[in-house]
Amino acid sequence: MKLLDYPVDLIGIATIARGVREGRLSAVALIESRLARIERLNPRFNCFTEILGERARREAEAVDALVAAGRDPGPLAGVPFGVKDNYDVAGRITTAGSIINRDRAAAASDAVLLQRLTASGAVLVGTQNMDEYAYGFTTENHHYGPTRNPIDTERSAGGSSGGSAASVAAGLCDFSLGTDTNGSIRVPSSFCGIFGLKPTFGRLPRTGTFPFVHELDHLGPFARSVADLALVYDMVQGFDAGDAACADRPVDAARHGLDIAWTGSTALLDGWFDSMADAQGRAAAACVAEVFGVTTRVSLSGAQARAAAFVMTSASGGNLHLESLRHRAADFDPATRDRLLAGALLPANAVLQAQRFRSLFREQVLGAFRHHDLLIAPATPCAAPLLGQPTIEVDGKPVPTRANIGLLTQPLSFIGLPIVTVPITSDALPIGVQLIAPPWREDLALQAAAHLERSGLTHVQSGLPC
Amino acid sequence: MSTGRATLEDVERLAKMAGLEISPAYLRSVHLNLCLLLDQAALFVDQPLDPIVEPAPVYRP
Repeated sequence: MKLLDYPVDLIGIATIARGVREGRLSAVALIESRLARIERLNPRFNCFTEILGERARREAEAVDALVAAGRDPGPLAGVPFGVKDNYDVAGRITTAGSIINRDRAAAASDAVLLQRLTASGAVLVGTQNMDEYAYGFTTENHHYGPTRNPIDTERSAGGSSGGSAASVAAGLCDFSLGTDTNGSIRVPSSFCGIFGLKPTFGRLPRTGTFPFVHELDHLGPFARSVADLALVYDMVQGFDAGDAACADRPVDAARHGLDIAWTGSTALLDGWFDSMADAQGRAAAACVAEVFGVTTRVSLSGAQARAAAFVMTSASGGNLHLESLRHRAADFDPATRDRLLAGALLPANAVLQAQRFRSLFREQVLGAFRHHDLLIAPATPCAAPLLGQPTIEVDGKPVPTRANIGLLTQPLSFIGLPIVTVPITSDALPIGVQLIAPPWREDLALQAAAHLERSGLTHVQSGLPC
Repeated sequence: MSTGRATLEDVERLAKMAGLEISPAYLRSVHLNLCLLLDQAALFVDQPLDPIVEPAPVYRP
């Protein structure tokens, strides 16, 4: 069987790239095959806002030319990927899921992470659907339509990076990049049943991406295996002065430590992180805890941390978009607009207290990391809800869906911790579990995720749509 | 959610101070969202914090 004929869910990024680098697989043929798949399936899922066929073909030809010339195109040679539509792509307007941004100039260059992936040989196939300005958890975009979950097209793919997650889950590309301010990588990972990484705040440069909340915005990858996730993460690491919050740290390669058995001290988050999850989420976290032999539970001030993140997000978003709210309010998605307007009206005391509370909460969590190497929590209060579903049940009560899907992710991105979301599949829909590591220890979260993968507990459901 | 934390008139006054004109078509929705935010803020706004709790960027050598 030719490499190209293998089902995409069985190959893995490293194998694809090896085939291309060794001349056994043509990057052009691979990209043509994947573009055909996107053309066929994207209307069903609405993952992409633009398919960049011409660029993809050009890049794939360049990869094949390098191989023909005896040069190495890089560790991601020929691997097709997509980016959320808040990443700059040279020559294209970055919509960030809005129509307001259509009046902005086209990007002069690719976002820095995109440049690094291209330099590693990966091939961009398109930009991907999201909640408007990344302010949402369901990718039910008023302007560009909803992204549908490939596992059940009546259900949400999660958000705000829903198009990026769903495209990987559907095998339309082999990995993708999203952003996570309050859970926008972890929520769609959970709903679509794939792996996602939100690194430490300041780890990956956001240069060339459209912001939402400067002090909470993170970039990160989605993939179908831990090895794929770690490989992509390693390729995009490194300082860039274009992002004032980017830490000038050396690259901490994570992919080489995945085979090490997990022996770290692990604890399960209790209290808020238990009571806000449903039975499926709690059971999934308990299964993960069992694999790690967890006997300890840790309680954190989750309710207050979530509330503070919620307030800061609205206020910061309201501030960022104030001019558009003044002059183009009717051009927003109504669900986004009304929350941003409310955020712009918040008293300063609430916002400043949220910032100060964050320092306190960070110290509380760092205290837990003095005793543990990893913390575990469910990623979402439930598995993927139906599109348009007005409420979900949390702690026995119906609460509005859109405002509450991030209950379990928001307290943790609030303090910028690195987190890998792993999918726990069952007869029901998948649900994600967060593996939370101390600052700058993405390697630990990935190592733990690989351990779980080897145990057989976590994996992407086999059987791709065709 | 407690809609008593702010009135529709409060929303209009705050909007005016912020230089925003909120259409009557979505004034109620903005009001509901503001009340939701104030409900959330109530969870931490009275949390006693030591005056030295430092939210500012700190440079270390």
